[in-house]
This record gives sequence, structure tokens and C-alpha cells, in this order.
Amino acid sequence: MIPKSIAAAMAVFLVMVFPAAAVSMEPLAVIKVPIDTVIAILNDPQYKVAGTKSAQRDEIWKIVKPMFDFDEIAKRAVARNWNDFNDAEKAAFTDVFAQFLGNTYIDKIQGEYHNEQIVYLGQDFYSDIYVEVKTQIVRETLTIPVNYRMLKGGDGQWKVYDIIVEGVSLVKNYRTQFASILSKDKPAQLIQQLNDKLAEQNKRLAENG
Amino acid sequence: MMIKPSLSFSIVMVFVLMGSLAWANPPATETTSAPPGDAVASADQVPFDPFDNPSGESYGDKDLMLQAVADPIEGFNRTMFVFNDKLYFWVLKPVASGYRVVVPTPVRVSVKDFFFNLMGPVRFFNCLFQGKWRSAEGEFCRFMVNSTAGFLGLFNVVRDKPSFNPPEEDFGQTLGYYSVGNGLYIIWPLFGPSTLRDSVGSIGDWALNPISFMQLVNVDAGELTSGTTNVIAYGVRIVNDTSFRIGDYESLKNAALDPYEAFRNAYIQNRLSKIAQ
Repeated sequence: MIPKSIAAAMAVFLVMVFPAAAVSMEPLAVIKVPIDTVIAILNDPQYKVAGTKSAQRDEIWKIVKPMFDFDEIAKRAVARNWNDFNDAEKAAFTDVFAQFLGNTYIDKIQGEYHNEQIVYLGQDFYSDIYVEVKTQIVRETLTIPVNYRMLKGGDGQWKVYDIIVEGVSLVKNYRTQFASILSKDKPAQLIQQLNDKLAEQNKRLAENG
Repeated sequence: MMIKPSLSFSIVMVFVLMGSLAWANPPATETTSAPPGDAVASADQVPFDPFDNPSGESYGDKDLMLQAVADPIEGFNRTMFVFNDKLYFWVLKPVASGYRVVVPTPVRVSVKDFFFNLMGPVRFFNCLFQGKWRSAEGEFCRFMVNSTAGFLGLFNVVRDKPSFNPPEEDFGQTLGYYSVGNGLYIIWPLFGPSTLRDSVGSIGDWALNPISFMQLVNVDAGELTSGTTNVIAYGVRIVNDTSFRIGDYESLKNAALDPYEAFRNAYIQNRLSKIAQ
């Protein structure tokens, strides 16, 4: 008999090594497996040593990046202005926006993680390709509802296209900001603005180890 | 009959705000043509998201329209945004962080539960106003249980029972439930973001909270109803609540290209989702 923990570790390993094995994965599991792994990384004593923050950040990014459909997130956040972007701009924007989001939120959980518990409430299917996975972050006695909206791609993989925290959609929040920038500036300038923010962020993160 | 100055003042305020509410609520067509606040996109260009409008008809458009809020006093609001931001970083955050270190978590939880319980009647009446009988029942039972078995609300003994913990209702949501629009967006110094509707709502909630209700009906409970006690209680409550949420404000702010717009949109989205509950 294989102990449960080893079996679970093997399952995670298999999923990571052979993504094809994840084809039949339930949307809830697509969220839960990486989140559990991230919590394990956050609690890992090897990263409690000074100067390991950036290694930890890279490790977390590697785990969470495949959860998200950044093309879809970028397209939805830009919404009606997406057609004004040429192909190169679309690619550049998606890339910088993904990195910016990754940096911002990984830095947040690295700095603020205090043993919050994640409760998985369930998954609401709208159709075969749309699902909303409902979770709660429980911090002391405060509960923060976090819903992941997911879309099933052509390859059969469920990926997150929006996160709703306390009723606030991340995509829609950026949509209003991007819309107001794009009403004045060209797509290239928006990309530049994000690049500047990213550079500033990277600099600050590098200084903090 | 003598009317207390505070009561007459609040009645006047309600009328003033109601009057301006009517003024600030132009016909929908006008709002769509030139929103001073958020930009509105047309439906066919908005990516489909079935969860925004499960009925499936004219998706996106209605949702975006709802999210757009009039912001004619943006200059004032931006100034207040900066003021509150400084207040948070210079005063509230250091105080709440220190408080968090000094005061053990169980005590902070009790303080939070106490104030939460004290506001029980406010939520209860707003459930009733919206005809949410189940929720009203839950609020009522939780209030009775926690006020007695929970030692005046210092302990929430039914935290894990979903039927005792309905979504929290307030008067702004009650007005929203009866289709009162946001009016305009206002950032109050100290109190933070709100709208005209929610500001009126806050006055309603203030009148419903047990302490101010006693003041309104001229019950003299000595120190309990004095202005100083209320101000101190409000301060303690804010510091205590903030001690659970340190870092949340910063993360939304850091994630934004224009923090002012990000918070305005987050406020409106959050309120919309609460009204929908």
C-alpha cells in the first residue's frame, strides 16, 4: 500500500510532468492543486532564509502561470479597444500584463501570508465550457469570497479568465482603467506605461531580495 | 414637543440629500450618452461572460452601464482620495499595526464581534425592508443568541451556522434593491468612498443603530449616549477592523494604473454584488 501523502505527491508530479494527464481534471482541481502547492512553497523552511525571495517568487510563478489564460484575460480587460491593437501589440501587451499581474499578486502573498485557509465551496457550471469555482479565504475570522471564472480551451484544459474578489472582477476593474487610458492614448503608450510600472516593480523587488 | 438638534439636523440632511438624489438621477438615456465617470462600451464589443447575466440577453452592455457611475465632483473626490490615503498610511495603518501586535487575536475578534452584534438591528431591519424574511430570521436569532449566550455579543457562538449568517444588508442596499441608482460618486474625508445613495443609506443606518436610536428618541443613557463615547467607539471599531485587513488596501493600490479609478470601480462593483445578494 502506498501512503496517501505519497500518492498525492505522485499525482501532483504526474500532472506537472505529463500535462496531458490533466485533460480530465475537474475545474475545481485545476485551482486547488496549484494553490495547495503554492501554500506548501510559502511554508517551505528553505525559503525562510534571507535572499531566497526571488527564487521563491519564480517557483510560485512556475506553478500558477498555467492556471491562467492570459490571452483571454488581456483580451477581456481591453475589451472594445482590442481591435485597435495590431498583432505585435497584442502579444506585447499580453506578455507585460501577465508579468505585471504575476509580480503584483505573488509579492502580496509572499509578504502577507499568515496561514490563511482556503475553503473550496464548489463549482457552478454555466455550460460545458464556462464554470465558476467558488472559494473563500479565511483569515482569522474574516472570510473573503474569491471566485474563479474559467473557460475550457480547445485543448480541453480549464483555465482562469477572471477572478472575482468580494464581488469585484479583476478584469472589469482593469477594463475601466484601460478604457480611460486608451480614450486618450494609443495602445503602444498603454504598453509603455505597463512596462514602466513593471520595471519599477522589478527594481523594488530586487532591492527587497 | 422638543426635537433634539441632532434629530432635526439629520432630517434636514435626509431631505437635502433626497432632493439632490432626484436631481442626480437623470434618465438612463442621458447617462449612457455622456457618463462623466467610467467609459461605457457597446454590447457587441464586450467579451461574453455568462456569469454577468445568466439570462443571456444583451450581455455586457447592461452590466457596463451599471458599473459606470457619475463623477461630476471628481476634483473634490481626488483630493479626498489623497487625503484618506495619507490618513491611512500616516495614522490608521501604524495605529492598527501596533494595536495588532499588542492586542491578542481573540480579543480583537471579540471586539469585532461585539460591534458586529451591536449593529444587528440595522441589518435585521434592512432584511425586513427588502422582504428577505429568511435573512431577517437569521439576523434576529443570531442577535438573540449572541446577546445572551455570547455575553453581549463578545462571542459569536453561531459563526459556523450558515442559516444564522445571511449576507449583510444595509440601507444603501435597501435603496438599491428598490432600484434607486447610485446618484454620484462621493469620497468622504475619514469615511471613504460612497455614493449619494449610499450616503443617504448611511444616515438611515445611523438612525437604526441602537445607540443613536436612543439619542433620537431622547433616552438619556448617560455616558452611553454621549457624543464622546460615540466618537471613541467609532475610532476603536475602525482601528480594530483595520487590524484584520492590513495590506489589502495596499495590494489593490499597487495593482492599479490609476488607483483612484481602480477604487471607484471596485466600490461600485462591490456594492452591486451586495445589492444582488
